Amino acid sequence: MLSVLIWFPCFAAVIIALLPKSLDLKRVRLSALWLSGITLLWTIGLVIQFDLSNPLLQYQESLPWLSDLGLDYQLGIDGLSLPLLILNSLLTWLAIYSSRIDTKRPNLFYALILLISGGVAGAFLAQNLLLFFLFYEVELIPFYLLISIWGGAQQGSAATKFLLYTATSGGLILAGFLGLIWFSEASSFAYDLLLGQTLPLNIQYVLLVLLLLGFGIKTPLVPLHTWLPDTYVAASTPVAMLLGGVLAKLGTYGIFRFCMPLFPEAWSNLSPLLATWAVVSVLYGALAAIAQKDIKRMVAYSSVGHMGYILLAAAAHTQLSIVGAISQMFAHGLILALLFHLVGLIEAKVGTRDLDVLNGLMNPVRGLPLVSALLVLGGMASAGIPGLVGFIAEFLVFQGSYAAFPVQTLLSVVGTGLTAVYFVILLNRTCFGRLDNSLAYFPKVHWDERVPALILTLLIFILGIHPTWLVRWSEPTTTYLVAEAHLSTPAPQSIMANAEFH
Amino acid sequence: MNAVTPTPTKLPPSQHEFAEIIHRLEAGGAMLPDTPENLKQIIGIYKAYAVPMDFYWRNLLYIAERVFLNPLPAFKYFLPQDYLDRHNHYAGEDADLRIWRGEATAHPELLEFMEKGEVKRKLPKLLHHLWHDRINMEFAEACMRAMFWHRNMGGQFDPYLDTEEYVANADRAIKAYFKGNPVMLGLYKLFPDMFIEQVRQLSYYSNLGLFWEVMAPVFFEMSDLYDEGKITTVPEAMSFLVNGIFAIAGRPIYHHVYIRGECYEIIPKSKGFMWLYEAALPYVEAVFYRTSPFRGTKSYNAQAKQVPENQDDFHYGILYADVFPVGSAGIPPTLLMQDMLHFLPPYLVEYYQQYCRGGDDTLIQLGVTFQRSMYCVTSAVIQALRQALLYPLDDPNPEHLQANRAFFEAQLNRLTRPEARLRDIQSQDYR
Repeated sequence: MLSVLIWFPCFAAVIIALLPKSLDLKRVRLSALWLSGITLLWTIGLVIQFDLSNPLLQYQESLPWLSDLGLDYQLGIDGLSLPLLILNSLLTWLAIYSSRIDTKRPNLFYALILLISGGVAGAFLAQNLLLFFLFYEVELIPFYLLISIWGGAQQGSAATKFLLYTATSGGLILAGFLGLIWFSEASSFAYDLLLGQTLPLNIQYVLLVLLLLGFGIKTPLVPLHTWLPDTYVAASTPVAMLLGGVLAKLGTYGIFRFCMPLFPEAWSNLSPLLATWAVVSVLYGALAAIAQKDIKRMVAYSSVGHMGYILLAAAAHTQLSIVGAISQMFAHGLILALLFHLVGLIEAKVGTRDLDVLNGLMNPVRGLPLVSALLVLGGMASAGIPGLVGFIAEFLVFQGSYAAFPVQTLLSVVGTGLTAVYFVILLNRTCFGRLDNSLAYFPKVHWDERVPALILTLLIFILGIHPTWLVRWSEPTTTYLVAEAHLSTPAPQSIMANAEFH
Repeated sequence: MNAVTPTPTKLPPSQHEFAEIIHRLEAGGAMLPDTPENLKQIIGIYKAYAVPMDFYWRNLLYIAERVFLNPLPAFKYFLPQDYLDRHNHYAGEDADLRIWRGEATAHPELLEFMEKGEVKRKLPKLLHHLWHDRINMEFAEACMRAMFWHRNMGGQFDPYLDTEEYVANADRAIKAYFKGNPVMLGLYKLFPDMFIEQVRQLSYYSNLGLFWEVMAPVFFEMSDLYDEGKITTVPEAMSFLVNGIFAIAGRPIYHHVYIRGECYEIIPKSKGFMWLYEAALPYVEAVFYRTSPFRGTKSYNAQAKQVPENQDDFHYGILYADVFPVGSAGIPPTLLMQDMLHFLPPYLVEYYQQYCRGGDDTLIQLGVTFQRSMYCVTSAVIQALRQALLYPLDDPNPEHLQANRAFFEAQLNRLTRPEARLRDIQSQDYR
């Protein structure tokens, strides 16, 4: 059942790639939409049948592959990976929907997106470290091609930077995994086998740092983030939606799946440092966003800041904070995809992303009123305004982390305030004010262009008003994860203060 | 009616920034370039403007004459049938001077709209009103207030409002109106100036109503002549306006109030206030040039001198207005554009479909068209003033021609400031 999520998109990618070149662009796009829609429906089916009371892996699949190397085809799903799988399937469909009708070389474009979807699903499902690494690395070349072929200005250098950084990330993760096998003398890369291994603390530190750096690049965390603004800005709208909405989550997923449970003692000891690192990311991301003049770059930097919340929650590793972190991953995926989609629409219609040029888009007749209204809503969701999904996620993160790291949590709350600052700057300059006569001849936004934004907005609202539908998927798993972590290592004093959540 | 005969200029070229436009005016043209596209736009919009204007003038007179000082005028926009049936003095069989060949009563399209509104369903009048599915009299009142607020724009009408004679006339009407109402009479005793000021405002209601009573048939007739192929150029359209202005220049401007069947002449016809000098010119000055910043379109900091200290220097009228913010609720240009939208001729609807966002931004496109059309009206006023005060365009005396040029240059100097849309309307791409 789980294999379908990996191999059907890959199969679909092959079909799309082999479609006749003479086929109408719309038909190619429609085919890609249908095929990604089937994956989305399959994911929804999986969600419906998912046993909420079971904290362990479900729908496990296991096939021997290269057992001599310790590489077997092992898949499974739990409350940590399920929300991210949904996000992956949904954003893939929306990214294809939001692609331009006149996309050049559409067969290759959609095939690469579908390939990425299958690869990301594989990474979220893999229960073998080497298998995870393979799926993790599969994304690299498709994304490189998507950025370099269909990207905007300076796409060449941005794609190369992305390639170098993420290849380094993969190298560090592989080194960490190999080190784990060597030092634990395990016979396989199987996740459940390695979970029970206990390594000397020094070894744990080294391996943990390797993995943290690897996943920190992908997430990204300051100062490993420098590839992100250029890449996000150079990428086309659908690719930016996938980069921010899905790819970045591979980094945070890796932290929760591997760093935290495989090295529990080292994690507990390093957690104050990690929390501080999170705060640096939050504040740096927010301050850098404030300084931007390009709205896409501003949104990109906002992503850096918001990823910091997830690291803070991981550092605190309380049940509540982890539920908050998973919610934040999901919420951030929705919000960032919405913002990138809207920024892409603005750029397509107005022809610029420059804050000093944009003005008055809220104009009801000649502006982009609905796009502006949704941008306001996206900004509010990102800034954690109550009633929207961003608030729930951030509130859970802060509530769960405060007892463990009060100072870092409060500083992160300041980061939320700064989020409101740069979004007010963005909205004030972009949406409000007087529409400039010389510029105000924008083409109209068609209804089908609004559909992705409306779907994302609806989800942001629904999950913000009824957060149980978001957190209940991950609650049993997080309870189990935290219990396991505390069984395997004595919790630091600061974490014990949060015992009521355990 | 005679058209102004365009003649080539005999003077050396003007050195003015708008030399080309000045040469055009000297040749009998308008500030608006003479193109078939411009002609189609301005005639179409005159027709779309004239239908709500047919309501404006009737309702303005109704408020001035009947509603008067009603302290709670909740139904002042509910025009009674006798005002809809009231004969326009410049249309119909019994006209004083028949400008339009159509009927003297309210325009059929207006009546149809008043009955079913935009929703095309006959609903209680109050529902149409509350849904704002009606003619926006608020725009007409904004124009009236612009005239009343600026005041002192020349003529005899405005100074008369401060005379003892006027105050005595108003006093009689106020006392008659509130007869048997000790509360209002007591308030009048306490705050007489407030009531007199209200009556002055009502006199401007009457002034504007009488002004537009003339303009509506003028615009209807222009539309009909265009449809019949008898107006084929922008200068011809402007000349029709010039001749119309002179034909009805002497129409009396007055303010009568009807209380319990008795007529109170607050401003009697016998004062001899003439339409051209007491209504048309102050209207053009107040509404086309000055007005005041429209709420909701742009913020001004008066302390930072972003608003002129001298009211004469105000420049927020339609000749300067930025119509792009049209669509924002409650601002006067939006209200007018919304009114005109209901009565666009089919050829103009089709025209707007071809540009910008097609039907989606018709409000702004017709706003720009309205701006073009008002430049044509202003051109007519400038030509009429030149004709009344200076010399013919084909005068053989170069000194006279030089005087004409100085006059045109002085008029266009008011439009050199960056906010003026004169530069924009020279291009067809300004939409």
